[in-house]
Amino acid sequence: MKYMILTYGSQQDYDGMAGQDTGTPAWSAEDFAAMGAFMERLNKELEESGELVETRALAAPVHTRRLASRDGVPVVTDGPYAETEEVLAGYWIVECESFDRATEIAARLAGCPGPEHVTANAYADVRPIAETLADLEL
Amino acid sequence: MRRYGHFPLAEDAVQEALLAAATQWPRDGVPDGPRAWLVTVASRRLTDLLRAEQARRRREDAVAALTPPDRWLAPAADRAVPESDDTLILLFMCCHPSLSPASQIALTLRAAGGLTTAEIARAFLVPEGTMTRRISRAKQRVKESGIPFALPPGPERAARLGAVLHVLYLIFNEGYASTSGPRFQRTELSAEAIRLTRVMHRLLPGDSEVTGLLALMLLNEARRPARTGPSGELVPMAEQDRTLWDAASVTEGVALVTEALRNGPVGPYQLQAAISALHDEAPSAEATDWPQITALYAVLTRMTDNPVVTLNHAVAAAMAHGPRAGLALLGELEADARIAEDHRLHAVRAHLLEMTGDHTAARRSYQAAARRTTSLPRQRYLNARAARLPDPCAPADGPGPGLDAGTPDTR
Repeated sequence: MKYMILTYGSQQDYDGMAGQDTGTPAWSAEDFAAMGAFMERLNKELEESGELVETRALAAPVHTRRLASRDGVPVVTDGPYAETEEVLAGYWIVECESFDRATEIAARLAGCPGPEHVTANAYADVRPIAETLADLEL
Repeated sequence: MRRYGHFPLAEDAVQEALLAAATQWPRDGVPDGPRAWLVTVASRRLTDLLRAEQARRRREDAVAALTPPDRWLAPAADRAVPESDDTLILLFMCCHPSLSPASQIALTLRAAGGLTTAEIARAFLVPEGTMTRRISRAKQRVKESGIPFALPPGPERAARLGAVLHVLYLIFNEGYASTSGPRFQRTELSAEAIRLTRVMHRLLPGDSEVTGLLALMLLNEARRPARTGPSGELVPMAEQDRTLWDAASVTEGVALVTEALRNGPVGPYQLQAAISALHDEAPSAEATDWPQITALYAVLTRMTDNPVVTLNHAVAAAMAHGPRAGLALLGELEADARIAEDHRLHAVRAHLLEMTGDHTAARRSYQAAARRTTSLPRQRYLNARAARLPDPCAPADGPGPGLDAGTPDTR
């Protein structure tokens, strides 16, 4: 069974990671490097256990293009999110034996280093993936 | 399997037993104990396979005993690969104009290069299945195009050679300055691009642009050890520890570009290599021959219509003749839609403004550049530059800025 682990962040969080003071202290070079090393280690472990299907980090929310339809014509809005609105920041797709194992993997993210005001408020979601229409109907 | 071990061989044996069943049972009828029949046939088949395997080992040992010791090891990566005109034809086919650049790159790495599909997929961060399909679609396309396996005829050949060099340069840059993700460098792609360009150079020693491209790659690659700091952050050329630069690559690159420029005709790769050589030979950013680099960029600008070349020209002009000369050249680019919104234009303007002492405007430009790049390490670098600018009212002491506008992509 496949599960998706989702993490969230706002534009403000991204600005902090990019080294900007946004009311809360910015990430130092050491913070940033420690996070990179942590993620690399986790991903390598998941790759070696054969559970990692794929993982991606998303660019800052400001680089989003939103498409809507007005009278059948596509309309593009750049950067549709508010500064503090939390949106998808990255995800892992894992294939593992149970929901509990996927939860265990997601719980590892709690150990990700970072400035205290960030780690104190960080969270992740785990959601089962519907592989077929039949899965959806369950 | 339980009885014999040897998982892959056991699988093969079961396959063959099933195959035998599929051909024999419809003809002779299903045996009394179908399961027992399959196990017996598979066991016999496995015994055969194991014997064949042992025989193969004995043969290999015998062959190995007859091989002189100097041929026991696979050739080193930098030793000449057996190559011929076929390699050249293959490269021309992989870079066929009917293919998209992404397909040209994938096919070149797979067919002419030494990377596996899995390695190529990992280097470009796509699932292996996607890369397999991309490569097989590209092969199909080349097949459908009906082009013969031969060198393109005279007039077409120069243009097609240009496409091959461009693909090799793209592969090199993908490895040298990765466009995405927290990791800046993917060494194996650069190494493969250099290896293939060496092959090209051996096959076409008289082509000055092939020589120029090889020189350019070596001269840029020489700086790799100094390009990233301990936490993986980008270090601009002016601040790099030049003792880390690879002297052997510099020497080889300089010799190649000198030879190419002497033989001519002069082309964009040779000019870029000549510029890179001037950087590599300078003991420091300040002691670099900026007037000469500015002159080379002026020639390169006339030869290629590429805004990134103009951007680099502006940087060199600023170093040779002061920041105002550079800013004047940037003025032309602001109307160029290809680069007006590019973070590199804003980053260069920020550096030049910082040199003039206009720290308020410089800070704004650094921030504008940071907003326009999606790379977190680059954003961190630009924001740090903005944050370390002294009080806007204080006089400027004009440090040599980190000028690395990126590698121009000249076709």
